[in-house]
Amino acid sequence: MIFSTLEHILTHISFSVVSIVITIHLITLLVDEFVELYDSSEKGMITTFFCITGLLVIRWIFLGHLPLSDLYESLIFLSWAFSIIHMVPYFKKHKNFLSAITAPSTFFTQGFATSGLLTDMHQSEILVPALQSQWLMMHVSMMILGYAALLCGSLFSVAFLVITFRKIIRIVDKSNNLLNDSFFFSEIQYMAERKNVLRNISFLSSRNYYRFQLIQQLDDWGCRIISIGFIFLTIGILSGAVWANEAWGSYWNWDPKETWAFITWTIFAIFFHIRTNKKLEGFNSAIVASIGFLLIWICYFGVNLLGIGLHSYGSFTLTISI
Amino acid sequence: METLNPGKPSTPSLLKTHFLKSPPFVNSTIKLKPQFHTLYNRRTLSLTITCKLKSSQEVKNKDKNVSRKILLSDSAPPVLEKSGSGNGVVPEKAAGGGGGGGPLVFVKRLPRRVLSVLSNLPLAIGEMFAIAGLMALGTVIDQGEAPDFYFQKYPEENPVLGFFTWRWILALGFDHMFSSPVFLGMLALLGTSLMACTYTTQIPLVKVARRWNFLHSAEAIRKQEFSDNLPRASIQDLGVILMGAGYEVFLKGPSLYAFKGLASRFAPIGVHLAMLLIMAGGTLSAAGSFRGSVTVPQGLNFVVGDVLGPTGFLSTPTEAFNTEVHVNRFYMDYYDSGEVSQFHTDLSLLDFDGKEVLRKTISVNNPLRYGGITIYQTDWSFSALQISKNDEGPFNLAMAPLKVNGDKKLFGTFLPVGDLNSPNVKGISMLARDLQSIVLYDQEGKFVGVRRPNSKLPIEIDGTRIVIEDAIGSSGLQLKTDPGVPVVYAGFGALMLTTCISYLSHSQIWALQDGTAVVVGGKTNRAKAVFEDEVNRLLDHVPELVESSSLSKQSDMISG
Repeated sequence: MIFSTLEHILTHISFSVVSIVITIHLITLLVDEFVELYDSSEKGMITTFFCITGLLVIRWIFLGHLPLSDLYESLIFLSWAFSIIHMVPYFKKHKNFLSAITAPSTFFTQGFATSGLLTDMHQSEILVPALQSQWLMMHVSMMILGYAALLCGSLFSVAFLVITFRKIIRIVDKSNNLLNDSFFFSEIQYMAERKNVLRNISFLSSRNYYRFQLIQQLDDWGCRIISIGFIFLTIGILSGAVWANEAWGSYWNWDPKETWAFITWTIFAIFFHIRTNKKLEGFNSAIVASIGFLLIWICYFGVNLLGIGLHSYGSFTLTISI
Repeated sequence: METLNPGKPSTPSLLKTHFLKSPPFVNSTIKLKPQFHTLYNRRTLSLTITCKLKSSQEVKNKDKNVSRKILLSDSAPPVLEKSGSGNGVVPEKAAGGGGGGGPLVFVKRLPRRVLSVLSNLPLAIGEMFAIAGLMALGTVIDQGEAPDFYFQKYPEENPVLGFFTWRWILALGFDHMFSSPVFLGMLALLGTSLMACTYTTQIPLVKVARRWNFLHSAEAIRKQEFSDNLPRASIQDLGVILMGAGYEVFLKGPSLYAFKGLASRFAPIGVHLAMLLIMAGGTLSAAGSFRGSVTVPQGLNFVVGDVLGPTGFLSTPTEAFNTEVHVNRFYMDYYDSGEVSQFHTDLSLLDFDGKEVLRKTISVNNPLRYGGITIYQTDWSFSALQISKNDEGPFNLAMAPLKVNGDKKLFGTFLPVGDLNSPNVKGISMLARDLQSIVLYDQEGKFVGVRRPNSKLPIEIDGTRIVIEDAIGSSGLQLKTDPGVPVVYAGFGALMLTTCISYLSHSQIWALQDGTAVVVGGKTNRAKAVFEDEVNRLLDHVPELVESSSLSKQSDMISG
């Protein structure tokens, strides 16, 4: 009883604090930046972080196993991972726009986890035999940390795409003669355009220069975060394979969830390969990362929604096969 | 898979001629300081050549993007390496560069052509996309069904997307995607691409990165991705500060070269090799495994070799296949709510003479390993119900699995009561979901009660006293041998390690004392923004020299 009350309190606190943080973010977007408001939003995120941590720890103590066995718990863990990603640059004294991605992500995942959609899953489920392993902690936590980082990173790429497209459209308006119709499909022309923008900096407004800087930073940060996520994803998939060799009889079964995780992995591997090529960098890699964004959701939710394969533990209809 | 562009012979051939003349010393890395002076002149020679090339190339590609410059500076050394590695390569290469004909040359050049095609980055990316697409298709199309299923689901009258029918699926083998020739062929192609790329692109790139070279013109330094000018500073101070920040610093006269995180250059090779190792292990697994599964009632035996069937042409049975397995006991653990928490099977392994060699209780996540054979707990079944009827018995009633919708298992059996010869036999039905409780129904099909095995509590049904003595389960075991596992695990370990190392960045910094000022330039392969911040912070720490001391430094330098 105490457990559920505490859990309720913590869920509600964390969700309301995140909502407040989002509101503050919106205010700072609309109005000029207030330093105090920014600080308070940071404090809000820290509060959220501690609330979610408390939630997870309480669940852990009460259940006796790591709270990662179903969708609800993994969603809470995901928002916890988002808040960690949010906190890291804060402690490094890097004030950047990372928070603009992570705070809403935390908001949405936490909101979805606590929404009515999953109410019947709030009751802690028992752990099916196949999940009773030390590997659960390693595999699931790594996968979800990986998902969180990759989602953040690919959101950066989406932002990159949006800003680039807006910029391109603006330039198209300004100087139509520079461009022909096949612009979007020709990266060389795109690069030329980018250089063109660079040259324009000196006599265009400083606003344009800041946009260019922003794009560069988005690109760079996105890549770094995706790298971290990729490491986590690799470790997660591989530890999952080792676990499968203990529990299911083979390290790779081409189970749908496994396959989709591997597809995601492949897509981000493509992302890195595109980045090694300086000609294709930026625009193309951002497109690939945006595809990756969709794939992560398919991998995380889609496969479970269909309830197929061996990974059907945490899905909406809990099936107990051995 | 950096782009070295092997299919671009124009500039490297120019370089080649230069380097072929020079002895192979250039390739060796020099770590001893005293050697600098002796090698100084030769080094400058090679460097000026690269510089010249850069500038000429830049004139050509002025409208192309900035990164060309870096590509070019990287493209010189593989040739260097070739000339340094042995003289045997030289004539062939010269012939290739000169375009000299002859069938022999063509034969020699053919593998090179193939290599350069295979190591092509867009090709590799295309292969990865294709594999990802095929895998996605493999999860969308139901796998391993009978042809009839596909006839109905993908009919010719109503094709998916206007063209996709069962003909496609069956012709391309997409009903078993992950063992279809198309998919395996793509994987094999990717494997060869990996090898080709590692050989032609990555290894040369590392060789470039390992050669620490000084830049002797301020212009070249300013052309780096990051550059700065420090007025009134000394290069020695900069060196000390860089060293403090973890850089390896080389200082020679007015030039400085520093680098950090060289491992990051090696890591991608490691990633590729690890992938190849995993692929090799997977192939070995597919070709050399034995698999099989068996459902054994408690108390019975089976021989390992009878269960295991080979999966590939490399599968060879071993001595351990003669082992006999005895199921001592099968039981389940339950939660308080009645759900199953774990399945256990107590197994004894008996050798050819019937002697017990190993005894272990296995459960899900806790398999038994013996002589290369692994026995997993994967399934269970209800074998028989032991009852006594009116204090006679005990009798064993075989339990039959009943098909009900849903995944939960249900077993049932039937105890005839009364005249067995009448055409309309009636009896008591007993149903069970697990080994814990048996539900009994009377002849009319009405619910009578629930009894637990071992409870010794009798139940009266129409005058028949029934005691449920025991519930005998059977354990579903899966057996396998897999020679590929150690290889795959080695690949896994290597992949994890090298992916982590890949996160580091290889940062290089060049500096040149230009009068009283120091020109600093640098580049890194990964975290560009972080690198810039870091270098800016470090440069802030470089002390600004007062006039007199800088003069003394200058004189120091001249004397040195």
